[in-house]
Amino acid sequence: MTGLALALSAFGCMLVGIFLRVPIALAMGLTGFFGSWYVIGVPTGALAQLKSLSYETFSNPGLAIVPLFLLMGQFATRTGMSAALFEAASDWLGHRKGGVAMASVGACAGFGAICGSSLATASTMGQVALPEMRARGYSDALSTGVLAAGGTLGILIPPSIILVIYAIMAEQNIVKMFMAALIPGVLAALGYIITVAIYVRVRPNSASTAPRIPYGRRLKTLKATWPVFVIFGLTMGGIIADWNWVRPGTQALFTPNEAAAFGAAATGLYGVLTGKLDWEGFKLTILQTAKATGMIFAILLGAEVLKGFLALTRAPDLLADWVTTQGFLPITVLLVMLLCYLIFGCVMDSLSMILLTVPIFLPIIEVLDFGMTAEETAIWFGILALIVVEVGLITPPVGMNLFIINGVARDIPMGQTYRGVTPFVLSDLVRVGILVAFPALTLWLVGIAF
Amino acid sequence: MALAVETQNRIGRGVEALAKGWAILGGTLLVALSVMTVVSIIGRALTGYGLGPVPGDYELVANGCAIAIFAFLPWCQLRRGHVTVDIFINRLSSRAVAVFGCLGDALVLVVSAVIAHQLYLGWGEKFPYGSDALRDALAMGYRPFFAETTYELQIPVWMPYTAALIGAVLMVIVAAYTVWRSLNWVIDGQEPQL
Repeated sequence: MTGLALALSAFGCMLVGIFLRVPIALAMGLTGFFGSWYVIGVPTGALAQLKSLSYETFSNPGLAIVPLFLLMGQFATRTGMSAALFEAASDWLGHRKGGVAMASVGACAGFGAICGSSLATASTMGQVALPEMRARGYSDALSTGVLAAGGTLGILIPPSIILVIYAIMAEQNIVKMFMAALIPGVLAALGYIITVAIYVRVRPNSASTAPRIPYGRRLKTLKATWPVFVIFGLTMGGIIADWNWVRPGTQALFTPNEAAAFGAAATGLYGVLTGKLDWEGFKLTILQTAKATGMIFAILLGAEVLKGFLALTRAPDLLADWVTTQGFLPITVLLVMLLCYLIFGCVMDSLSMILLTVPIFLPIIEVLDFGMTAEETAIWFGILALIVVEVGLITPPVGMNLFIINGVARDIPMGQTYRGVTPFVLSDLVRVGILVAFPALTLWLVGIAF
Repeated sequence: MALAVETQNRIGRGVEALAKGWAILGGTLLVALSVMTVVSIIGRALTGYGLGPVPGDYELVANGCAIAIFAFLPWCQLRRGHVTVDIFINRLSSRAVAVFGCLGDALVLVVSAVIAHQLYLGWGEKFPYGSDALRDALAMGYRPFFAETTYELQIPVWMPYTAALIGAVLMVIVAAYTVWRSLNWVIDGQEPQL
């Protein structure tokens, strides 16, 4: 069997396993293990690498940022920062038609700036904003739809767990990836706000208006959100800014790992100082972090084993060769890949998809000519892939964010949520189109900062 | 009819306490590492004033994270935290769903046992003590000539490996328990919400 055929059949087996409810991490690892066994002929090599592979994957200094950012996000969830953000945003926007829904988008974006996970953002903002919107007579469809969509801002606006992992796989600079995600993240938030505005014009019954809040109170609630701004400013600012203009030759304040550690310590300290984090809360924070971290690193380990097998088959190189000899238009190839993400995103989670596809897609993207440098292409593709896999979080039938929002308000039928989220999915697709057409939107900030 | 539900529940409480306790210890380590990093950043910023960064902070974070992650995995398995695709399976009866869940747990048990065993062998390759007879009896492999150490602090690598190994072994125990638990769910005909 040629390497390509072997890899393809192995992928087929793996997908069957995944659809039969085998944990994805296991399906990847077992496929890699048995695949390597098949290629080499004996299992000893694949077994022997496990002597150190698990420890080395978990102690990879580049990945240390992942549990630290997860810890930071969990601390932020526990310490009521989401509530402060939502209150401020709804004071500023609440008097408009659909204003509280817009405020939810804004608060999600703000929370995304200190939390690297979509699910955490969706669940914490859902608990804060959903009761409020329902109390103010917003329709079930709009309020659940906007929160499910807003949750995806958690992963797009840096820090972002998936971007970190993409950066490591694609051997790109994490800081550059974060910079690249900033404008698309803001565009996403704006797109959702515009979507809300259109939504309430088309269906005027779905939202209410409220009296204007005086500016004195607005400033007061805005002031209460300072920890979010300070922590985001210091963590993200600290890794982006090199203070060359102050003292030539000085480095950035933090490395990415240090920024994550600082963010976790700072949010935790804020919780302790304000009395919002007691021992019970601390334990819950740890256990939530433990669950999320365990899930991610199990998949990372499985992907590591699978990567060894893919390298043995040389399938990624062969596939890249084949694509170039066929002479497809680069843009066609890109669009087909994005379409794959959209389709598989309906049933699979985003991290697994990134880990499964990037080793195969990226070599192809890198040999195609998009009129950019290899680095620019890799960064641009990473952002596009991130956005389309996140769309998977809000598309039926398996949109994780939809389930999470639905779990907050069990009395709302799932069909309402599906209906409410559809306009936001469209807004996502429009944004992907814009970012494909204008790579500068992604790459401009990277160019300025470096 | 089920397989010793009472015993399963009693053992379950013990397993849960173990997994929870070890995960919380691992998490506390993670918090301690972030505090240490902040101290290190402050020290580095004040280098001109007689302070300095914590020596070896980088490798402490990397190895500490590995220990914490091994400590987290048993808890994740106990809470069914691993990602599965249920959409196609959910069309079947709730008992069939539980059967596939049980098969998944059984696979986790096999794989975690293999990983723990291989990690034990890897640990043996880094652990430079013990007589040949003892090492033979414990199947630890040949004694290494040098104890591998970390780069900056020269910490023998077998030390963090030991902590990681505890997590890996706990993972096998938890996985074995979850197979039993999900077997009872199959007999019961459905899975409870975790």
